Amino acid sequence: MSQLVGFDNPATAGGAIMGRRLRVSAYLAWRILTDEKGRTALAFAGVLIAILLVFIELGFFIAVPQGGMLVYDHMRFDLLLASSDYQFQAQPWQFPRARLAEAASVAGVTKVTPIYFAAGSWQDPSGGDLLDVFLIGCDPNAHPFRDGDIERQQDMLAQRDTMLVDDQTRPIFGPLTAGREIDIDGHRMTIGGSYRLGTGFLGIGVALMDEANFFRVTHRRDDPVNLGLITLAPGADIAAVQAALSNKLPDDVQLFNRKELTRHEDAYWTTRTSVGLIFGSGLVVSLIVGLMVLYQTLATQITRHLPEFATMKAIGYGDASLAAVVLIEAGIIVIAAFIPAAIGAMAVYALIRSETLLPLALSPGSMAIVLFGVLIMAAGSAFLSLGNLRRADPAEIF
Amino acid sequence: MTALTLPRRGLARLRPARVPLAWRNLVADKWRLARASAGIAFAVLLMLVQLGFEQSFFTASLAAVEQLNGDLVVQNASKYRFGTRNPFAPKDFETIKTVAGIATAAPLYADWVDFFWTSPVDNKPHLVRVFAVDPDAPAVFSIPGIADQQTRLKTDDSVLIDSESRRFLGMNRNVTEAKLNGVSVHVAGKFSLGPDFMSDGTVVMSDRTFAYFFRTTPAAMPIEAAVIRLQPNQNAAEVQKRLTAALPGTLKVFTKAELVQFESNFQAKLSSAAPIFWLGALVGFVVGTLISYQIMYTELSDRMPQYATLKGIGYENGYLAGSVLRQSLLTGIAGYVPAWLLCLAVYRVVGHIALLPLHMTWRVTLLSLALTLGMCLLAGMIALRRVIAADPAEIF
Repeated sequence: MSQLVGFDNPATAGGAIMGRRLRVSAYLAWRILTDEKGRTALAFAGVLIAILLVFIELGFFIAVPQGGMLVYDHMRFDLLLASSDYQFQAQPWQFPRARLAEAASVAGVTKVTPIYFAAGSWQDPSGGDLLDVFLIGCDPNAHPFRDGDIERQQDMLAQRDTMLVDDQTRPIFGPLTAGREIDIDGHRMTIGGSYRLGTGFLGIGVALMDEANFFRVTHRRDDPVNLGLITLAPGADIAAVQAALSNKLPDDVQLFNRKELTRHEDAYWTTRTSVGLIFGSGLVVSLIVGLMVLYQTLATQITRHLPEFATMKAIGYGDASLAAVVLIEAGIIVIAAFIPAAIGAMAVYALIRSETLLPLALSPGSMAIVLFGVLIMAAGSAFLSLGNLRRADPAEIF
Repeated sequence: MTALTLPRRGLARLRPARVPLAWRNLVADKWRLARASAGIAFAVLLMLVQLGFEQSFFTASLAAVEQLNGDLVVQNASKYRFGTRNPFAPKDFETIKTVAGIATAAPLYADWVDFFWTSPVDNKPHLVRVFAVDPDAPAVFSIPGIADQQTRLKTDDSVLIDSESRRFLGMNRNVTEAKLNGVSVHVAGKFSLGPDFMSDGTVVMSDRTFAYFFRTTPAAMPIEAAVIRLQPNQNAAEVQKRLTAALPGTLKVFTKAELVQFESNFQAKLSSAAPIFWLGALVGFVVGTLISYQIMYTELSDRMPQYATLKGIGYENGYLAGSVLRQSLLTGIAGYVPAWLLCLAVYRVVGHIALLPLHMTWRVTLLSLALTLGMCLLAGMIALRRVIAADPAEIF
């Protein structure tokens, strides 16, 4: 007896014994799991789906706000110059064009390119729906976009009354074939071709024009501008130039580096709209569902193995050892389910990415968050199910 | 063989039909029932929350249209959704008023892209939706706070604001003076409508104030929609026909129901949010099926001797299967009811924070109940195999 359960004797307690005790618990957990393979497979499948759900909800939680970055991610700039009233991309407000020249005079700045935005209407010349379209005006020679299709069709953009359309523009706009004529704000334009940046939160349709066409269609002039793309000299210290620009420019404008811009747009969609709350609550619910699935599994297994647990108690194993068995069991199930769930999530992410163009990717960060979340979930469910363990009374069980 | 089966059949017919086996099994172990019900409840809650979100997005985007206070609505035929500026000439409004059968016609002016409200929260301009009405005409909206306060708009530069607007606009605060496009306006009252996916907040003003912002007069302002009420005992379809005949082909006459349908068709076609929520509900269903299967599997394993005994004394698979499925459905209901109740609280809290019209509706209730029963039935059927395989000779 004392040989078998010596590690429970306080007199012989020590580091090595603790290790042995854990090994015994781990062995028992493994034996329980492999005892009934069908049941274990079921538990595993349930937890797998729960973790997959956590991944999907987290993916949306992170990616949906990034819909606001789709176009920015394909713009060439080191710093973005925007109005001090800037809200988000589709509501950038405007600032005097003179700020561009002022910015260009700062050491380290090589180029400042204006970008113009406008809300326009789109109608087929034969009539039909008058649709809202988001218009972007730019100087193609300044190469503001890092996109093969736009660069390739630069000459097309320069043609009079010609525009490119984002091919994520909704089907309600009709075919986006080159050569089709469209009235934009009542001005006859021709579709020159298409590109794919994604419409994100800009609206249901996006068209890109060169400045001359943009001004003709929108009846705007080159002043004020909506955004300024600042390119720095190679090797320039972004932070230093940003500080110099902030000092020099009046406070009707503000500057964003890429990181700040991402954070700003993300925060806008996460906190100002219901997007964050919806997917945030989805995330919480998915964790709770996972917890319940796992708890259900563990509690069932404890109930089923109650006689065994009671026997162990009778021969001297302490509550802690039995609890360790349950904890280890939970850990094994979760970690085993985590890997296929992560692989499944990659497949689901790829599908969503191609459907929505949202930059949904399984970053190590989100992997770590999910793993951390599910481990907490596993511990939580194990602790919940320990209540069942206390029913393991050697005197009553048989 | 036949001789053997016949008496068994006879025995089965003698079964005490009133013993509710499924029910007794369900309530035999209260602790287990609580555990099973909690497991299913969470899956149901997940489905309810997702279905609720899906619906509330829809409801929010239809809120303004549904509150239009009229029998018929006239707007441009090229207007593809309600929330887009596409007004018609005021002279067409004069034509509308001459058509027989119409009691009143009220003009609605609206704008979604040109008005910026300076928020007291951050002192920055934010895009808001603006509705403008003729304070002397019958109320265009049946929204409480607009209909009864529109006479207050007769004072120039007075506006009503939506206290349910997104918080960063500060319209829920105690504001009396504010700025719209840099112009000082007086807040004469509040109403509650709520934001949708397009607009964060709403301001209502008189046609005169609205025209002032466009540097024109109310008489010259193009009209977004004409909201028409019929004389008593008039047939809506006939007046609609007369109106269509009297108006140019660029205008379209909707009954209120048609307009709501038109808008909901557009939202259904365009909404990219709906599939996300359907996916969530589907995951809830799958998780629920797994949980439910796990419950039934355990249940049947533990009661295998009893089932085998029943079989041994002549009960048939059909009877036992019916009992198992009934028990599975009862477990589902035991999980559904607390989930439904809990969901009322979740809707209330989340709806309040997210400013979404999250309400429990018959549609969500019945849809989630059908999904719950479906998943329990499915789980029950998979788990059944064990009862069918139960061999009285082997079990003991």
